[in-house]
Amino acid sequence: MKRYDLIIVGAGPSGLSAGIEAAKKGLRTVVFDENEKPGGQLFKQIHKFFGSKEHRAKVRGYVIGQQLLEEADRAGVEVVLNATVIGLYQDKEVVVKRGDRIEHYKGNAVIIATGAAENMVTFPGWTLPGVIGAGAAQTMMNLHGVLPGKRVLMLGSGNVGLVVSFQLEQCGCEVVALVDAAPRVGGYGVHAAKVARTGVPFYLSHTIVEAEGTDCVTGVTIAEVDSTFHFIPGTEKHFDVDTICLAVGLSPMSQLLKMAGCRMVDDAKKGGQVPVCDPYGRTSLPGVYVAGDVAGIEEASSAMIEGRMAGIAAAEYLGYIGKDEMESELASLDKALDGLRQGMFAPQNRGKQITETEEGIEVSQNLLLHGYVADDELERYPGVTHKSGVHPVIECTQNIPCNPCQDACKKGCISIGAKITSLPIVVEGSECINCGMCVASCSGQAIFLVDEDCGDGTATVTLPYEFLPLPEVGTKGKGLGRDGKAVCDAEVVSVKSMKAFDKTNLLTIRIPKEYAMKARFFKAV
Amino acid sequence: MSERIKEHPILGVQEKGRLVRFTYDGKEVEGYEGEPIAAALKAAGVMVHRYTQKEHSPRGIFCAIGRCTDCVMVVDGVPNVRTCITPLAEGMKVCTQYGVSEKPFEEQ
Ligand SMILES: Cc1cc2nc3c(=O)[nH]c(=O)nc-3n(C[C@H](O)[C@H](O)[C@H](O)COP(=O)(O)OP(=O)(O)OC[C@H]3O[C@@H](n4cnc5c(N)ncnc54)[C@H](O)[C@@H]3O)c2cc1C
Ligand code: SF4
Ligand code: SF4
Ligand code: FES
Repeated sequence: MKRYDLIIVGAGPSGLSAGIEAAKKGLRTVVFDENEKPGGQLFKQIHKFFGSKEHRAKVRGYVIGQQLLEEADRAGVEVVLNATVIGLYQDKEVVVKRGDRIEHYKGNAVIIATGAAENMVTFPGWTLPGVIGAGAAQTMMNLHGVLPGKRVLMLGSGNVGLVVSFQLEQCGCEVVALVDAAPRVGGYGVHAAKVARTGVPFYLSHTIVEAEGTDCVTGVTIAEVDSTFHFIPGTEKHFDVDTICLAVGLSPMSQLLKMAGCRMVDDAKKGGQVPVCDPYGRTSLPGVYVAGDVAGIEEASSAMIEGRMAGIAAAEYLGYIGKDEMESELASLDKALDGLRQGMFAPQNRGKQITETEEGIEVSQNLLLHGYVADDELERYPGVTHKSGVHPVIECTQNIPCNPCQDACKKGCISIGAKITSLPIVVEGSECINCGMCVASCSGQAIFLVDEDCGDGTATVTLPYEFLPLPEVGTKGKGLGRDGKAVCDAEVVSVKSMKAFDKTNLLTIRIPKEYAMKARFFKAV
Repeated sequence: MSERIKEHPILGVQEKGRLVRFTYDGKEVEGYEGEPIAAALKAAGVMVHRYTQKEHSPRGIFCAIGRCTDCVMVVDGVPNVRTCITPLAEGMKVCTQYGVSEKPFEEQ
């Protein structure tokens, strides 16, 4: 039986981070992953991540994956792929299936970083080909370059449903509706808003009645549900679709820990059955640790920190570092993790209905019901100000752990302050030089540069644009409102693509000045 | 019903390697060597991978990561091959799976 100091199961952000930390401290470390490629969820994420610079914010998920792999390689972590761990025993024996072979390994310490599995829902027709998981859609389009479908209905308004809807549109699919049985959008408002402004209608308090088709999906019927989740007769709506995408939550994949005899607990806020563990991932079994989504569904940014913590704790357990060194390293990671676990979407706030921001501003109800901030709600946020000339309009209205906008502006126009969840404000008296960095850096695509009055009855709006084909200067079309409906004529007057913008193009449209605070997207006609 | 993404606004043009031929229910189809069989089939518009033994009801790609077994087919005579995680090779013989066989139910 082959022996390692540390065996890690799962090569996602948490497992790789744990491996890097442990290997740097001298532990002989191996990471097993069932996939052909490492990185876990990261290689499917093509959007810019939230967080702060320390958490690699505004870097796209797949790039973070590449960075982690390079670091793991440099640190000397052995990553074994196509290796499914099928058994874990109390004495830290790990059983691995590689092809048809079953291999046994023994670790002096083990870190389980297996991530999460997608939840499912059933409805008549749910087994038809064409009903797919959101993860499957991501795998097809972002890893294999194949369109998951042409016309898609998305079920689920959490961050996964929102992000995957946007990704589907980016690769050329049409998302005909975003549906959720819950009465309010579950994910970040900025993710919802970028989907809504492209014209995807949101149906909250709705769910699927039936998927139609004989050999594969050809249509779907949804209907409104009451507060007890029963269908309200007469509210049915039908869509012709070839694909129904399910994004109805994730559950920790904690089976291995249960098998090994770890103490487990059911915790709805963490997404299901999770091992009982301390803040550094120590389970009830000495030398067995957990990190990442398997210990509670969160984010890649927190998964990476948890991974590092578990790696450090394992190094101390095996005597590679002293207690003092461990404690000082853990303390600084504690602080970073604490920063991420703040705001309206923090684990402790799951399921709570929040009506006011930390600043005491009423939250946008329209955002929660329809996916975009209504015109009459917008002016109350501190990122929305008016002045002559080009200036930023920041439509980021919820407390989320994110601040790349503040770092992006070298002119000091945008401030979030010390608390990472605070709403971004436009600094009074600051002078915007129209460089565009804030628009391109905003992970939520929530910043626009507006010149409300160009002096000739027109206004210009600069918006982030990540679609193909990229319109050319002179292209005529429509300015779309936050709800995705055409509000005015628009002409593209500038298209900027720069390396520093990292594939977010900046489109400037000219519109009648009455629409300066209304038009937020462009559609060529 | 489906096709390949020619150019992606973030990922650009994907390098997929060598185009190879294989057969799907006897018909000649093209796909890229090494990509999952299911990806090549999806690009060719194939939706149904198998019919269940009991209900004869159709199944296709569902999880795309090897967990649900909805996508299994008969590949080179071997049934229950998860096509979403099995790399495509030149000349593969991929057949719709009826129950556990490549023969349609009426011929079984
Ligand atoms: C659509 C979407 C958008 C997201 N957006 C963001 C975002 O903007 N910012 C952010 O921070 N996070 C985001 N996340 C969340 C983030 O991707 C996850 O929280 C993160 O990947 C969790 O990391 P992990 O290492 O715990 O698990 P994973 O990334 O899931 O990795 C676990 C790995 O373990 C492997 N594995 C599991 N069981 C076994 C076994 N028995 N044997 C071998 N290998 C096994 C799995 O195949 C996988 O490769 C998003 C997620 C999704 C789905
Ligand atoms: S355009 Fe440039 S100067 Fe103006 S607010 Fe944005 S980052 Fe600052
Ligand atoms: S405005 Fe700032 S805080 Fe809000 S999503 Fe954009 S970068 Fe993050
Ligand atoms: S689609 Fe689930 S195993 Fe292949």
